[in-house]
Formats: sequence, C-alpha cells, structure tokens
Amino acid sequence: MKILIVDDERDVEDLFRQKLRKEIRSGTLELEFAFSAKQALEILASENPPKVVYVFSDINMPGMSGLEMLDIIKEKFPKIQVSMISAYGDEANYKKAMESGAKEFYTKPVNFENLKKEIAEITQLNL
Amino acid sequence: MILINVISLFLLFYLKKSSGTQEFPAQLKRYFNYGMIAAGVLIGIAIIDLPPQILFQLLSFVLVGGIVYLILLTPELESQKTMAITPLPIVGVELLKYLIETISPSIYNTLENYLNAAGFFALIWAVTMWLNHRKQMKEIEIERIFLKEQERQLKATAEQKSQLETLVAERTSEILKQKEELQDALDHLQSTQEQLIQQEKLASLGQLTAGIAHEIKNPLNFVNNFSELSVDFLEEIGEEMAKISDSKEKENILELLEDVKSNLVKIRHHGSRADSIVKSMLMHSRGGTGTMDPTDLNALIKEYSNLAFHGMRANPNPINVDIQLDLDESLPIIHLNAEDFSRVILNLVKNAFDAMRDKIGALGNDYKAKIQIQTKDQGDHILIKVEDNGPGVPDEIRDKLLMPFFTTKKGTEGTGLGLSITHDIIKSHEGKLTIESKVGEFTRFSILLPKVKLGEKST
Ligand SMILES: [Mg+2]
Repeated sequence: MKILIVDDERDVEDLFRQKLRKEIRSGTLELEFAFSAKQALEILASENPPKVVYVFSDINMPGMSGLEMLDIIKEKFPKIQVSMISAYGDEANYKKAMESGAKEFYTKPVNFENLKKEIAEITQLNL
Repeated sequence: MILINVISLFLLFYLKKSSGTQEFPAQLKRYFNYGMIAAGVLIGIAIIDLPPQILFQLLSFVLVGGIVYLILLTPELESQKTMAITPLPIVGVELLKYLIETISPSIYNTLENYLNAAGFFALIWAVTMWLNHRKQMKEIEIERIFLKEQERQLKATAEQKSQLETLVAERTSEILKQKEELQDALDHLQSTQEQLIQQEKLASLGQLTAGIAHEIKNPLNFVNNFSELSVDFLEEIGEEMAKISDSKEKENILELLEDVKSNLVKIRHHGSRADSIVKSMLMHSRGGTGTMDPTDLNALIKEYSNLAFHGMRANPNPINVDIQLDLDESLPIIHLNAEDFSRVILNLVKNAFDAMRDKIGALGNDYKAKIQIQTKDQGDHILIKVEDNGPGVPDEIRDKLLMPFFTTKKGTEGTGLGLSITHDIIKSHEGKLTIESKVGEFTRFSILLPKVKLGEKST
C-alpha cells in the first residue's frame, strides 16, 4: 500500500521513513514524498489510476496550501483518503479541512502511535 | 384758663399727629386721648364757669404740666422737646397770675399790667419758638424722608445684589458641574485610550509571540521527534549488539552508545522544556477567545484546587498540604471565562505548592504547609484570596512576579509564564491582582473581580 506525504519541510521524509521503518521493511507500506502541493498533484496525476491510497498533508506550505490541495484531490481523485497535519490546530483550519472531506486532522508534533494505527486500519482495508 | 387748656389740647393734638410713620406705643396714644378729653372737659367747665374755679384752674395747670413732663421723659418724643418748652413761659405767667390772684387779689390788681406784659412777651416767645420748632421739624422730616429714601435704595441694591449673588452661585455650580462632567469624560477617555494602547500593544505583542512560537515549534518538533527516534534506535542497536561476541572494541562501542543515548535523552528533555514554553506562549497570546458564561465561582475553586492538589500528589516530589477553603456561600453566579479562570486557580495553587516545597526542603517536617483559599462578596466586587504560609516573596522581586518569563523556580521547573498568564486572565476579567507577602511567613494573592463588567453594562 502506498501513501503520499506532503510537507514543505524536507526532514519530514527522514522522520517518517525512520518512524515507519519496520512497516516499510516488511513491505506492507510504501512511502512517497512531495515537498509542495503542486508536486503532490503531479505525482498523483502521473499514474492512472494512482497507486497512492492515502495522502497525509501539511497545511502551511509556500504556494498552494494543503487545504486548497485537499479540495482538488477530493474533486479529481475522490477515492483517495486525505488527512491533514498542521502546527496550527485552530478551529478554522479544522472546520475547513473536515468540510472539505479530510479523514483526520493531526496536530504537530504528530503522535506517531495514532498515525500508525490509522495506517494499520487503512492497510487492512486495502489488503 | 381756657388758654392753658387750649395749649394742652393743641400740644396733644399736635403730638398725636406728629407720630407720622413712626407708630407710638398704645399706652402713649391712650395718654394722648385721655389728655384731650380732659382738656376738652376743662375747656367746657371754664366756659360755663362751673365752681370751684380754683380747683379746675389747678387741674388745668396739672394737665399741661403733665403733658410737658410726658414730652420730656418719653424717649419716643425726643424730637418734640422744643415743643414742650414753647408754652412754658405762657404757662409760667398764667401760673403766676393764678397764684397771685388766688393768694391776694389786691397784689394781683397792682401787678396786672406787668403780668399782662409778661404774658404778651411769653406769647411772642412761644410763637417764635413754635415757628422755630416747625422749621426744625420740617428739616428733621426732610432728613428723615431723605434717610428713608436712602435706606430704600440701599435695601433695593442689597436685594439686587443678593439676587445677582444667587444667580452667580447657580451659574458657578452649573459650570462646576459641567467642568466635573467634562473632567470625568476626559478621564474616561484617557483611561480608555490607555487601555486601548495597552490592548493594542498586548495584541501586537501577542501576535508577535504567536508568530515566533509557531516558527520555533516546527524545528522544535524535529528536535524532539528525531531525538526520540534515535533513542528508540539505540535500544534496537543494543538488542543487535547483544548478538555480537564480546570484545574490547564492542565494550568501547557500548560505552560510547550509552553516552550518545544519555545525550539524546537530555536533548529530548530540554526539547520538551522548550516545547512547554512555546505552548505557554501560544496560550498567552491566544487572548480574546472563549466566552464569559455564568459560573459558580465557589464550585470552580473547589474543583480546581482539588485538581491541583491531586496533580501535585501524583507528580514527583509530592508534599503534604493542608488546604483550607473558606468560601462565601452567598456569592452570586458571575460571568467568567471558566476555562481561563480555572487556570488562574491552578496556577496560584501550584505556585503555592512549589514555594512551600522549597520551605519544607529548608525547614524539614516541623513546618506544616497550609493554603487558605477564601471568597467574599464585597458588594460590587468579589474578593478571592489565595494565601500560603510558604517562604514569602522579598519586596525587590514582588513587582517582577507578573512579568513574562520571570521565574523564581530554579533550573528547569518553571516557564516563568504562569503568573503572567494569571495576571492577563484577571485583567481580561477587568479584575485586579495584588500580592502581599512577608518573607518567611506568608504570600497572599488577592483578586478583586467586578460582579458586572464594563463590557456587560454597555450592551
Ligand atoms: Mg509547513
């Protein structure tokens, strides 16, 4: 199962790869990274149908924001689940994300235990 | 003898008339009336020549004498004194005639011419005196009228003056009142302006703080996440190392790994410290959110002092504390941001715990830690007191207590934001926080909260 992680901070890649090291090594999980919303949409569009089943995205990014991207993904690829990860856990962002169809809303620092559970559930569904 | 009585009648008649505006006492007027009646009767008797003539003639002298006597001795008749003198020569001559005639009519006959001449001169003298008196009286009258007019004018002026004074006093008090109103308005404006500037400053400071906090939070998250991960990895490495056979090199590696691990734990620890500061800063700058809802302040205090106590007991270094609640049951429900205000109670109680823990460390078990929390209805305000018998706060740092990032707690214990946040929350409730303390004895935080806030009044 492939998930896409979108964040303008490049170290997010190392963090996720290391945190999910076991899942990646066992082959149950495949990670892809994009460092802008634009890049993420390009990755999704490059495969037809996209192999990615789940997108985790930051909200505050230069250029297109995560919430704008969420709307586009929900419109173009309604089957893909999207969860938001933001340092700004405020009401407005949360409401907007949920109204746009986000599955979960994580606040930074990410609780990886919860994230792993979420991924495990998705993996079960996609087996 | 008719002449004497005519003089009496005339004197009385004139006296009665001369009273003018000045009212004579009733007693005096009665004398006048009786005198006039007496004079009239005597004149009548004289006309019909009723005997004994001698007696009636004597009575006529007594009457005129009485009248003169009355004029001279009555203060009200002071101005008429010349009048009394006027007929005296005539009366004198007549009296002489009467006496001589009564004692010896023969002597009277020889002296009659002289006596008549004396009577004539007395008459001239009387007329002269009379005219003089009239002139004097007129002058007095004119003067009196003049004085009266002057007095009237003075009175009118005084009246006008007092009217003007009243008017001036009225206007002055009006102006003073307006001045006071203006001063009040000005004071209100100034304090509002100050408040606005303060709020503006706080708001921009808040935004700045929030901005900085967020910017720091992201890299801090990486520090914390990666250090945590690395600790996990070291655990794994340790497990793998166990599988490798022992050697000198392995021993050295294990030692170094142990140091790396301890360093990472330190990084993680200080990272989470920084994280809690950042969180407090974000809370600090949050301001303005949350609503004021009707709140039972006593219940809130009970709940959160209890929570603070159990939190403290569950954490490292618990202490024994006697918490005494003295809550005024008559406290009304007031509008509070309960979430914020519970933090005030938590912060104050936690601060007291920390301070008293230090004192226990210094004095040992002889010292019995005690916190008193009191609420009191004070009419317009509610007073909340949180007092501990801890080490107290020296004067020189008392003013700094409320400053952000000021802390008395050593090393890693405090963020220095607790009391600053507490103060901000109280201010946002339009309350006042005062700190009293005596080193070695007590520290007392008093919060004075208005029952009705300005914001509530205006809407
Ligand atoms: Mg970002």
